[in-house]
Amino acid sequence: MKRTAVAAAVAIAFADSSIVVLALPELYGRFHTTITGVSWVITAYNLAVALTAFALVLFAHRVYAGRLLAAGLVVFLVASICCAVSESLAFLIAARSVQGIGAALLLAGSLPVLGARRWTIVGTFGLAVGPALGGILTQAFDWRAIFIAQAPVAALGLVGTIRAHPHEVVDERPRPLPGRVLPANTCLALLFGALVGALFLAVLLVISVWNYSPIGGAFVVSALPVAALAARPLEARLPRLVAVWGGAALLAGGLIGLALLPSASVWLMVWALALCGAGLGLAVPVLSNAALDLGPGLTRSGTLTVGARHLGLVLAIALIAPLLASKVPAAGDRALLKGTAVLLDAPIGLDKKVPVALDLRGAFAQARAGVTPDLAEPFNKHGAQHDPALAAARDKLLGAIESTITRASRSAFFVCAGFAALALVLALAFRRRLEMS
Amino acid sequence: MRPAVWVLVALLATVVALVGVELGKGALHEPAPKLANPCHPRGGRTGGIDATIQRIVLDGLDGAACRLHTTREELVLSFAPETGIRRRWDQHTVEVAIRAGMLRSIDEAQRRGDLPDFAAGLARELVKRVPIDQLIRGGLSLRGLLGQ
Repeated sequence: MKRTAVAAAVAIAFADSSIVVLALPELYGRFHTTITGVSWVITAYNLAVALTAFALVLFAHRVYAGRLLAAGLVVFLVASICCAVSESLAFLIAARSVQGIGAALLLAGSLPVLGARRWTIVGTFGLAVGPALGGILTQAFDWRAIFIAQAPVAALGLVGTIRAHPHEVVDERPRPLPGRVLPANTCLALLFGALVGALFLAVLLVISVWNYSPIGGAFVVSALPVAALAARPLEARLPRLVAVWGGAALLAGGLIGLALLPSASVWLMVWALALCGAGLGLAVPVLSNAALDLGPGLTRSGTLTVGARHLGLVLAIALIAPLLASKVPAAGDRALLKGTAVLLDAPIGLDKKVPVALDLRGAFAQARAGVTPDLAEPFNKHGAQHDPALAAARDKLLGAIESTITRASRSAFFVCAGFAALALVLALAFRRRLEMS
Repeated sequence: MRPAVWVLVALLATVVALVGVELGKGALHEPAPKLANPCHPRGGRTGGIDATIQRIVLDGLDGAACRLHTTREELVLSFAPETGIRRRWDQHTVEVAIRAGMLRSIDEAQRRGDLPDFAAGLARELVKRVPIDQLIRGGLSLRGLLGQ
C-alpha cells in the first residue's frame, strides 16, 4: 500500500514535466501572456527539479531517504495547492518552481523505497501519460483541476511514508560517483530533450491544431508508450550498445518523421510516434542501468540522473519555445491567408459565403485570444451537412490551415531530432565506458 | 547476425519508408492552395447572377491587390482588424485601388457579355458611391440591386 502510494506520487512528479502542456492554450488566454511566457510554466518546474537534484547529489548521503521523501511530498503538496489557486502567471511560475523542488526531493527519496526498476518504470509511465492526463482534466474541468488532483496523491504518499517510519530506509555512505555514469546521464539528458518533440509538440499538434479531443489525442499519442513497452523484449535480446545506438537512431528517425508531416495525418503521426517509442524502449533501460549505481550509491546516482533528464527537458524547451514563438504567429497569418483564398474561390453562393466569412472572423478573433477556434462550426451552422459544396469548402479550408500550422513545428521537431542524433554520436564515442558500466 | 539485430534493421528501414511516404505526399512542397499573383488573370465561375457578381468582386480585388503590390487575400483581411492582419495602406490609397479594380472588372464582365449594358452602368455608379467595406463584403448591395 505504501509503495503504491509512493509510486503514484513518483508518477505524478514525472508527469508534471509535461502535464500542463494541454492547458497552455487556456493559460495563454487566461493570463494574456506570450508563448515564451507561458512556456515558463513548464520550464520553471523542470529547471527547479534539475537544479535541486544536482544540489542534492552533494548531500543526499547525509539524509535519511524516508525523511527526504516526506519533505518532498509536503513541499509538493503545498505547492500544488498554490498552483491551483494562482491568480497571476508570476505566482503560478513561482509555485511551479517550488513544486519542482518538492518533486526533486521526493524523487530522490523514493528510489530506495521503490527500488531502481520500479522507480524507472513508474517514472517513464508518468512522463508518457502526463500530457493526456492533463488534457483530460483541463477538458473536464479547467487547468486548475490538474493541480487540485495532485494534492490527494501527494497526501496519500505522505501518509504512507509517515506510517512506514522514515528511519526504515538506511542512508548511504559518502562515496564518489563513478565516472562511468556521466556518459549514460549525458545520453539520457539528450534523449529526454528529444522526448520534448515526441511528447510536448506532438500532443500540442494533435489537440490544439488538429482539433482532437484530449481523449482522442491521448489515444493517438499512446502509440509512444505502447511501442516503448513492445520494444522491451527486443532490448533484452540485443547487445546493450546496439540497443542504445538503435534506440537513439529510431528516436531521431521518428522525430524526422514528425518534422516532415505533410498534413494533419493521424496514421503518419502514429507511425512516427511508434518509432520514437520503440527508440526510447530500446535505449532508456540500458542507459538507466548504466546511470544508476545499484549498490549503496543508489540515491545519489538516482538523484544525478533525475537532474540530468530534467536538464535535457529544460534545454530542449529553452531552444524550442523561442523557435515556436517566432514560427507559429507567421504560420498563423499564412494559414489565415490560405483559408481566405479557399473561401473566396469556393464555388458556393454569396448567401452562404458571406455569413460563413463573417462567422469565421469571430473564430479567428478567438484564436488570437488563445482559444482554439472551431473553424468547422461556421460552415456547419450554415448547412454544410446538407450542402456538399459547402462541406468541401470547409474540409479544404481546414486542411489548408492545419497543413500550414503543422509545418510551423518542423524546425522544432528537427531540433529534437538533433538531440537524439547527438545522443547517438555520444553513445558511439563513449562505447567503451558504456559497455563497462 | 542475431535475429534481434535483423528486427532492429527492419525498424530502421521503416524510418526510411516513413520519410519516403511523407516526401511522396508533398512534405517539402508548399501546402495548397498557393496564393495567386493578382496581376495575372485567372478564370472564374460564370453563369448565373451570383457567380457573375462574385467574379466581378474577386477580379476587382485582384486588380486592387495588384496595384497595392499585395495578394487579394491580404487585402480582404485588412478590412477585418480582428483577424490581426494590419492594413499597410492609408484609407485613400485603398479606396482608389479598389474602385479602380472594380471598375476595370465591370468593364471586363461587360466585354465578356456577363453583364448587360444597363447593369454595368448601374454597377459603375455603385462602385463610385458605395462605401468600400460594403463592396468587399461580397457585393451584397449589387446582388440586391440585380434582384436576387
